[in-house]
Formats: sequence, C-alpha cells, structure tokens
Amino acid sequence: MSAPASGTRHALEVRGIAKSFQVGSETLDVLRGIDLAIPYGQPVALVGSSGAGKSTLLHIAGLLERPSAGSVRVDGVDGWNLSPDERAKVRNRKVGFVFQFYHLLPELSALENVLLPAMIAHSPGEYRAARAQLTEAALGLLARFGLQARTKHRPSQLSGGERQRVALARALIHDPPILIADEPTGNLDSATGERVLELLFDEQRTRHFAMLLVTHDAKLAARCPRTVTMRDGRIVGDTNGSGAA
Amino acid sequence: MYKLFLSWRYLTARRTNLIGIVGITVGVGALIMILSIMTGFLDEHRAAIRGGLSDLVITPIHLARSDRSVPPREPEALLEIVRADPRVAGAAPRLVWGGMISPRGAQTDLSEVYYSHPETGNVPVVQLIGIDVASEYQVANLREALARVSSDPASARHGVRDLDDPFAAPRDLDDDGIAYRGILVGKKLYDTFQLRVGDRVNVLTAVPDPRSGAVKSNNLIFTVCGAFKTGQSEIDSDIAYFDRRALAELIGNERSFSTVLVKLHDFERDGAATRADLEQRLDQARLIRGEGDEVSTWEDLRGSLIAAIENERILIGVMLALVLLVAGFTVFAILSMMVVEKRRDIGILSALGATRGGVLSTFLLIAFWDALVGAVSGAVLGVWLAVKIDPFERWLSATIGYQIWNREIYLFDTIPSRIVPIAVALIVLGAFACTLLFAAIPAVRAARLDPLEALRYE
Repeated sequence: MSAPASGTRHALEVRGIAKSFQVGSETLDVLRGIDLAIPYGQPVALVGSSGAGKSTLLHIAGLLERPSAGSVRVDGVDGWNLSPDERAKVRNRKVGFVFQFYHLLPELSALENVLLPAMIAHSPGEYRAARAQLTEAALGLLARFGLQARTKHRPSQLSGGERQRVALARALIHDPPILIADEPTGNLDSATGERVLELLFDEQRTRHFAMLLVTHDAKLAARCPRTVTMRDGRIVGDTNGSGAA
Repeated sequence: MYKLFLSWRYLTARRTNLIGIVGITVGVGALIMILSIMTGFLDEHRAAIRGGLSDLVITPIHLARSDRSVPPREPEALLEIVRADPRVAGAAPRLVWGGMISPRGAQTDLSEVYYSHPETGNVPVVQLIGIDVASEYQVANLREALARVSSDPASARHGVRDLDDPFAAPRDLDDDGIAYRGILVGKKLYDTFQLRVGDRVNVLTAVPDPRSGAVKSNNLIFTVCGAFKTGQSEIDSDIAYFDRRALAELIGNERSFSTVLVKLHDFERDGAATRADLEQRLDQARLIRGEGDEVSTWEDLRGSLIAAIENERILIGVMLALVLLVAGFTVFAILSMMVVEKRRDIGILSALGATRGGVLSTFLLIAFWDALVGAVSGAVLGVWLAVKIDPFERWLSATIGYQIWNREIYLFDTIPSRIVPIAVALIVLGAFACTLLFAAIPAVRAARLDPLEALRYE
C-alpha cells in the first residue's frame, strides 16, 4: 500500500462534485453535490439504478472527466487542479482502472498489456534499466492470477475471464492506492465472475488498496464492507458509519 | 517508452501500413533513378558536345565585309592569330560539306540499303568532314573514336592501320590504277553499307559553279581506311572523315576550310573572354566578316539543347515529386483509418496515463517508421537501379520482349546515369517531410479525441 500524502487519511476524497451537461437549451444535472471519502484499504461498492450518475462519478473520480464544480483528491493530490500532463501522471501512478469490457490492447500480448502502464511511466532509457524487474513483477502478477501459461497470448486468444484477470494485473502493476472498477464482472458468467472477484478481493486484502466498485450485482456489493447508493445524482445511502462524508 | 513500442507494433501488426511503405519506396526509388539518368544524360551531352565541337568554333562567313574585302579562303592566317593566344591549347581547321556515299561493287542491293537506312530514311545524306589529322587530334576526340574500333579485338579488322596516320593506305591494297584517297567512316554507316577496310566507295556531292552559277555534281573514289565509333549514334551513322585537301578536291577546290575548332586550356575560366578577344582580333585582321556571329563557344551552339535537358530534368523531378505526394496521401488515409479503428485504444492509453502529446507522438511515429523504412529502401532501390540501369534494362527488355531503350534513336550506346548524393539526400528528406506533414493531420485528431468518448465506444 502507498503511504498517505500530506497527512490525509483518504486514498480518494471527492468534495462538492457537480456535473451538468447542456442538452439543447436545457441544463441536465447529472451529479448534484457529491461528497465521498474512501480511506486507504477500504473497498466501497457504488450502487444505484441506471442514470443515477454512478459512471460519471467514477470517471470524475478517476480523473478522466472534468467536473462542473468540486474537487477530487487522489492520495492527497488535487487532481483537477493539475495540468493535463501532471493529471495523466497521477492517473498512471495512483489509479488502477478495471473496465467491464476489459479494454486490453488487441495488438499486445497479455504480458505487454500488463506492462503498458510501466511503459507509459518510463522513458525508453529508464524502462530498459528497469525492464527485468518490471517484467518479473508483471509475470508474478500473471502467475498469481493463474495465467503463467498465457503470458504471450493476445487478448483475442484469451477467454473473458482471462482477459479480465490480465486487466486486473495491469491495474495493479503500479501498486496504486486506489482501484476503480466499473462493473468488473458485468460481462462474465457468474462462475467466471466469481473467480475474478476472488482474486480481486484476495489482492485487496494482501495489498490493502482502496476500491471504488460500480456494480449492479447485489452479491458483489455484499462483499464490500461499505456500500454507497446513488439516485438522481445524489448519494442517498452510505452504510459507512459516518454516512456521506 | 510506449510511443516507440506501440508505434512499431501498430506498424508491424497491420498489413495496410505496407501500402504506405511501398508507395514511399517506389516514389523515392523512381525519383532517384530518373534524376540520376537525367543527370547522366546532361553529362553525356555536355561531354559529347565538348569533344565533338571543341571549346570554341570559328565559322567565317565568306561574304564581302562592309569595307568590301572578302575573308580569305585558306585558314593559315586565321590559325596563326588563334594559336598565338596563350589560352589556346590547339586549333584545327575543318572543311564541312554534305554528300552521299555509294559503295562500289557491294554485294548488297544498294536500293535496299538506301531505303532501309535507319537514320535518314530514304536518302543517306552524309556529313563530309575534311580534317588535318594532327591538329584535329588536339581539339577533338577522333583518335579515341578510331581506337575504340581498332583496339577492340572483336572489331580490330575494321580499324585503321596506324592511329597516327589514319588515312594511310590499308595493307595488301590492290592497286587498281585509281589515285588513292582515304576515308574514315562512322561505325554505324560502315555496318549499314557492309563495308570492309580497303573497299572503294564513290562519294557524290553537288557544288555550285562560281562561274556559271549552276549546281553541278562531283564525285570521287575513296578507299575505306577504317571505321570510328564515338558512341554517339548520330555521329557514327552520319559522318565520314577525309583528309582536308582531298575533300577540297572533291568540291572543286573552291574552299579549303569552313570552320576552325579551338581547344582552350581552361574553358570554364577563359571561354567567354577568349571568344570576345579572338573575335576582335580576327575582325581587325579582316579574317572574318565581323558581324558578331562567327566566333561561338560550344555552349552558344548547343545551349538550347543543354537548357532543354536541364529543364526536362527539373520538370520530371517536379512531376515525380507528385508520386511522393500520393505516397504521403496514402499514409494519411491509412493513419486516418487507424485513428478511427483505434479510438478505443486511444481511450485506454489515456486512462492508463498517456498524455495527448504522447498519443500524438505515437501516431506520428507510425508515419516516421513508414517514412524511414520506405525512404531508406527507396534510396537503396533507386541507387541500385541507377547503377545497374543498363543490365536491368537489357534484362527487362529481354523478359517482356520489347526494346525499352532503343539504342538507335538515342545518342548513346548505354543508358547514362550519375548519382548526385545531395539530390539523394534531398529526396529522402522530402519523403520524410511529406509523410510527416500528411500524418500530422490524423495524429492531431487522435490526440484531440476525448478519451471517455473513446472508452464508451464498444
């Protein structure tokens, strides 16, 4: 687990987030003042009906989409107050993404996909110097996820479950303080999904990273000690003792 | 690191990129090859014309001057003034006339030969040039042209007996009672008439009679002393050399020279100044008519031809540069397709921390690899073709059964080519610039793509 920065206790801290879109002459408010703080090492399920604003919140928290108002602190760094390049660096080092549709690069092997965040982080010289170490770490992750025989396979040669495990390894290669997952088992059958979740929560326990999981799956939500419920762009329920922070 | 890695991977994983690379290769290769050949043409022309025409040509017009004196019909006074100039390396008088050659006792039906003459169609009109051998050797390339035939074992029997005295009678010449006069015949003409050394040929010409004003025909029998070969098709098929006095005799001794060829020690440095000085001195000595058109440099005489080739070279260069534009456009089209296809990848890269600049560089690098592989292989191909153009053309002609380079209609036996390294470098740089400029448009579009939009696209 990464050490907290500037004295904060939170891996992710979302304050006063609002997001509105202009549709014709009307303004559509998707998020209406969201406050959410996730401490280091805490898995949080984000649930709610379709259109509640879960995915938009996820993208804003993951520094992919700019909010209309409010701030996002990732590991203590105010992400939307940075230059685009610095923000990209924070995304690379501090946030791990897992998507419903895996989003692996089809031209790269499983191992290369896992190494991609490291390639983005390093210049050619640095990468060459650290290559052996990085490859070892990536191979270790793949082996832990039962993919030691599939490292050279392209995504098209892997099953859905295998692809999601590669995506999981890719998200964890930098050992980020927070992992953001958008319906990670949404595209898998229940047995495969179960296997992936086992691995995900095993890793979470070992590495102690915070998680923000968007899901429709009640069983998955039940695995998390804290569930945040959204409706119409607001947080309407939070099983955390402190409520909506 | 990912920019280099991904761009190379995208390049190699997608076969459509090959089309762009092949386009650049062909464009660069063709441009280098054609420009090398055009440069070779220009060199050959300049060299050939220098050799044939010498540096300066003095052609006195034998008409009365404004002071009613007439320039002399003998060259000696003129030669004396020209040779006195320290910048002059040599000067040679020539008598130039036109006529026809008829081989006596040839086995071939003469009409067949005349009607099938490749250069002049039906009428084999030949340029008759009378020379003084020793001075001609100083200013023109006749000695080399004679040696090309007599020193080659395959054609030695058609060569002259003695290069220092090319009009010397051939060995074992039967004396048939005809006064001996020698003739040297261009190799193509020699072959067309199926001549042999020692053959007698009748040279016919028409000359005006100064007394009656009527045109009368003259003819004399000459003995073939050998063939010469300059490699320039026009000269080798249209020219016969004679001793100047013998040719003067054929045209009735009305004139003993028509031009004087002058060779300078350094034409590039002294050409224009020497031309002007000689013109002035010859005018003062009343040896030319003095109206400004009798002393010329070889560039004056063939300037338009040289300018035309130079112009053609530039024109072809510009037209072939369009091939590079097409290649650049192909790269543009392929990359544009790739940006659309790779929307999702671009979104993933952004989510994983790639900057807009990084995405831009990745796509520009794909074009860079295209240009690098295409331009380098194009340069190798172009240089190789320029060097091996002659055997390549022979092979290609033999393979397709059609003579691509017709040696009869060009001035040279082999396709000339000279590689100019600066031109090669400019072409390669041009290909790079063109490809990268075209690639910049889709690359910028890729960088501007909203990563979220790209990720939602599934």
